[in-house]
Amino acid sequence: MTKRRKRAVVPGLAALAVVAVVLSAYTGATQQPDTVIKDRGSWGYSAASSPQGRSPVQPIAFPHPTHVQTLGMNCLYCHFSANKSPDPGMPAVGTCMGCHLVIGPNRPAMNGRPARKSEGIATLQKYWAQKKPVPWVRIHHVPDYVNFAHMPHINAGVTCQTCHGQVQQMNRVYQYASLNMGWCINCHVGNVNPKWKARYDCSVCHY
Amino acid sequence: MSENSTPSGVRRREFLKVLGAGGVATAAIGCSSDRVEKLIPYLNHPDETVPMVSNYYASTCRECSAGCGVLLETRDGRTFKLEGNPDHPLNRGALCARGQAAVQGLYNPDRYRSPMVRNRSGQLVAATWDQALKLMEQKLGEVQKGGRAGSTLFLNRHESGSFPAFLDEWLAANGMPAHLSVDPLADNAVIAANRQSYGVSWPWLAFSAARLIVSIGADFLDTWGANVPQQLEFADARARLADAPRFVYVGPRRSLTGCNADQWIACRPGSELAIANALLGKGSVNDAATASDVPVATLQALKTELTGARPALVLSGVAGSDAMELALAVNELNRQLGAVGTTVQPDRAITSFDGIATDADVIAAVEAMRAGQVPLLMIRGVNPVFTSPKAAAVVDALKKVPFKVSFSSYPDETSELCDLILPDHHAIESWGDAQPMANVIAVQQPGMAPVYDTRQTADVLITLAKANAGIAAKFAAPNYMRWLIDRYPGGTSAFTLALEKGVGTGAVAASTAPRRATAIPKTAAPIAQTAGDLFLVVYPSCSLGDGSGANKPWLQEFPDPVTKICWQSWVEINQQTAVKLGVDTGDILRVETAQGAVEAPAYVFMGIQKDTVAMAFGLGHTAYGRYAAGVGVNPGDVLPVGFDAKSGSFAWTATRAKVTKTGAYTPIVTTEGSARQHGRGIAQALTVRELADLAAGRVTEHAEAMPGMPNTEYLPGLRSPMAADAQGVVSSNIKHKEQGMYSPDHWSGMAKRRWAMTVDLARCTGCQACVTACYAENNIPTVAAPYQESHTAFLHGVAGGNILKGREMNWIRLERYWEGGEDGGDFEARFVPMLCQHCGNAPCEPVCPVYATYHSPDGLNVQVYNRCVGTRYCSNNCPYKVRYFNWFGYGEPARPQYAWPERLSWQLNPDVTVRGKGVMEKCSFCVQRIREAEHRAKAEGRELRPDEFTTSCAQACPSRAITFGDAADNDWTVAKLALDKRGYHVFQEQLNTFPAVVYLKKVNHPAPAAPAGV
Repeated sequence: MTKRRKRAVVPGLAALAVVAVVLSAYTGATQQPDTVIKDRGSWGYSAASSPQGRSPVQPIAFPHPTHVQTLGMNCLYCHFSANKSPDPGMPAVGTCMGCHLVIGPNRPAMNGRPARKSEGIATLQKYWAQKKPVPWVRIHHVPDYVNFAHMPHINAGVTCQTCHGQVQQMNRVYQYASLNMGWCINCHVGNVNPKWKARYDCSVCHY
Repeated sequence: MSENSTPSGVRRREFLKVLGAGGVATAAIGCSSDRVEKLIPYLNHPDETVPMVSNYYASTCRECSAGCGVLLETRDGRTFKLEGNPDHPLNRGALCARGQAAVQGLYNPDRYRSPMVRNRSGQLVAATWDQALKLMEQKLGEVQKGGRAGSTLFLNRHESGSFPAFLDEWLAANGMPAHLSVDPLADNAVIAANRQSYGVSWPWLAFSAARLIVSIGADFLDTWGANVPQQLEFADARARLADAPRFVYVGPRRSLTGCNADQWIACRPGSELAIANALLGKGSVNDAATASDVPVATLQALKTELTGARPALVLSGVAGSDAMELALAVNELNRQLGAVGTTVQPDRAITSFDGIATDADVIAAVEAMRAGQVPLLMIRGVNPVFTSPKAAAVVDALKKVPFKVSFSSYPDETSELCDLILPDHHAIESWGDAQPMANVIAVQQPGMAPVYDTRQTADVLITLAKANAGIAAKFAAPNYMRWLIDRYPGGTSAFTLALEKGVGTGAVAASTAPRRATAIPKTAAPIAQTAGDLFLVVYPSCSLGDGSGANKPWLQEFPDPVTKICWQSWVEINQQTAVKLGVDTGDILRVETAQGAVEAPAYVFMGIQKDTVAMAFGLGHTAYGRYAAGVGVNPGDVLPVGFDAKSGSFAWTATRAKVTKTGAYTPIVTTEGSARQHGRGIAQALTVRELADLAAGRVTEHAEAMPGMPNTEYLPGLRSPMAADAQGVVSSNIKHKEQGMYSPDHWSGMAKRRWAMTVDLARCTGCQACVTACYAENNIPTVAAPYQESHTAFLHGVAGGNILKGREMNWIRLERYWEGGEDGGDFEARFVPMLCQHCGNAPCEPVCPVYATYHSPDGLNVQVYNRCVGTRYCSNNCPYKVRYFNWFGYGEPARPQYAWPERLSWQLNPDVTVRGKGVMEKCSFCVQRIREAEHRAKAEGRELRPDEFTTSCAQACPSRAITFGDAADNDWTVAKLALDKRGYHVFQEQLNTFPAVVYLKKVNHPAPAAPAGV
């Protein structure tokens, strides 16, 4: 008696879970397929709930390596407020067009690469012509009850790569760190770099 | 019982396993695809802005005529908080509750979103600006062609500055008469009397120079005159403690101003002139005593005291049938008492009230409409249908006007009757200027781009002028901003400089248009000659003003500072009279005059003269949006139309009324628990004599030390015992103590700080500006709008429903306690701002089962929202009752309780979490401001500077009663104030809580002859 009832209930719950999985998968199916990068960084605390590794398709396939490695641009050129604001700043379309008014989509043969047409620059110029901002897909996100400020981290000498990974090598940016609280605390207590030790009571971030 | 034989069939552990697996699967997929957030950059980055860093634009507040200076805190294109401008000569950095709430007008969900035109079926429908302007041009043309331009009317909300001159210039160019500058709150009688006596409309009132302040019904802390500068001056005067002026309030009702008085002389309405004349020596004290029902001895004592006090300051603000005569008598009294030039300073006059039309002018204009003489009415920012008594029948008069144009931003009672709405920008979106004092120009600049499809009226008028070939040349400036700059003394460079500070020097162009002298339509009869049982006093609500504040939920949920009632109208009635009528608080009374009747619950109140009932004006809207319509009753419905014969000032207190008990009952919507302290010592006070004893060391302050507790090493009572315990101060066995961040030697250095606050009750007037400042800063939801369902059958759709259920959410509240008066005699009011005390030994902390509240080493009692599971144990254990629970998801747009319907949510402070359902919240000592200051200091490579930042409540306080800072560092002001001999902690002696809030005792000034004690 007891056993039979048990069987009846457990598959019911399992079915519920399956439905939930299918439903959430279905809502996701309308989006473009996103890649999940399996390389989770060298010291990342992670949990199943973290979107770590997520690498969504962006409206423009912005090549960080070209800008940072080939052209030697500093992160702060575009993410200009990372050292003076909680928010790192997303470059305005006008900032991109500062160069791309001149550097158009038809790229000549250069550095051993053949001449080509850049889809990305063409798209960017289209946005600019239409006076529309580029709808970048957010990758790094912390919940509303976390007040993360970039400014004190940059000013303490934490590099961008510490949390964001080697963005200069990423042709498509993915979430490098888990951004879970354990991951934050691990650094705040000085495990990553003793120089970066910082306060770690709740009200540092949660208010 | 073994696990296998569990009768339920499923073992608990198994159940959780299945559930957990499903949950993880859902979460993993959910996170990767669900809710794609976008990062939308600017098209072109605006100069001078950094994302998530506030810019402050200096501007001018237009919530009342005073025109204080404000700083518009703006971030990422949204203005979300108003702070006082420290460089402005009127408010010097402070701002009242109404000024703070201006942002809720800006983002009001019920604002007009586009121009509106009345269609053929009589409905107001949205239109484009082209359509609306074309219609306006057509109507202007018709009026001019018909030769009737000289009969048109323009009613404008009074504002000082260039706009009146601009408007009159435009009207003159169109052949129209000068506009009427309307302010229903202005005391026309006092302004007229001041002009006659001093040649200025509002002399500077230097309270601190006075030895004795006597106010005859002048509510200078409520709505009378420029309340913020008056409050700053008054608080400075009271902060002189032993040398402070004694304050006597004479009037039928003890208003907020009256509650700040040392003595209240309750007189009958209408007898104030007799009292003033008696003080002046023009009338006999006996006659005045008879007329006012005040004992002869009291009046005689006041007269004697006044004669001996030089300089004194006597004020009057009675809106009766003899208002100007009274004001003149008071001015004469001031002259005799040596006040002119000392306490009354005409050479430092406030010019904000220059040019206000009298109430009689407005009603004369209404009568012209009724007579069909007005072909076109233009109206901006005023709502005469609501602010005029019903007996004036403004609605009927408006119907006689063929075409009515409103520039109102909100669908109020007047604009709903208009034929064309050309919605104005909110002041925060507009350019302008003000002349608050001679040789001071305060500029007004927008903080942000317009929220809706509105246009500034001045720009609309310029556009209309350009369309008319005859006058286009006179309005060559492309817009009003250019028009202002062209006329600004010193030109563009001076204007740009002035924008930085918000103030410049010089004088703006004043209107030279001739004013029509109108006869006063109807003189008010002396109140004593009217019919009825009880005198009816109608006074403007100190939060809602002339009713224009009623569409802002902060101001609706703002408890009246005296009665602590919100979202409701009430009738104040004396307890003796109430006993006679068999009335108790909450019984619905019918107040009836020849003009009509209103019904509202009784509030039995010691602070009202026994032959009098009083009602606040400002509620009872029939339109004006979801927060105003249908809330309360309008006492204007029962008032007769009558004016002071000399000044044309409307007689608000002009009639007696028949007051009857209806038999119905409604609970009073109040945030108050008990009005008495019951010996708990929450609000403590000293008399001047006791203060002298304390200063001379004849008495010692009460001991803060508790046996076994540290009290000397740091600051008395401010040291956290928890930290001390961790450091082994209490327990001797320090080896077993895990000190962590609580150790003063810890690398984080946190325990070296102790964030603390002092509240000087000698300064606090109970105005509650701090309450609104806190709502603005900390994203506190308002919970009791009529639409905010409280899930209680009998409260369905009732304004205040959630407050009746005890669900109010005000992190800082003003507690008001009565002392004495049980025998029907004079009594004292004490105000205490009550907020989280950030106890060093907090009762809330150990009872939390999930560590959602803990003590930070720098002295904050922290509430961690994401840990909180909503057991409410902490609130139950808090002796101060300062923890508030989110009974509903006030931040969830889909819920009926949503507190920020579009676009009020634009006001939310991006630095503060919007709390979710089922979470406890409370004062955080503005931890976001602490963190911001710390980050800024770190970025600049320095330590925090003393007093470099403060909390929102302290910043706004127009009494400068609140001081915040680090009490462990003697360079901070708070550290010095915390050691003041008047200091005490609430409940420390009973409960050993070691609060971080130090209250400084109020100082009372008893009458010279009276015994010490009260």
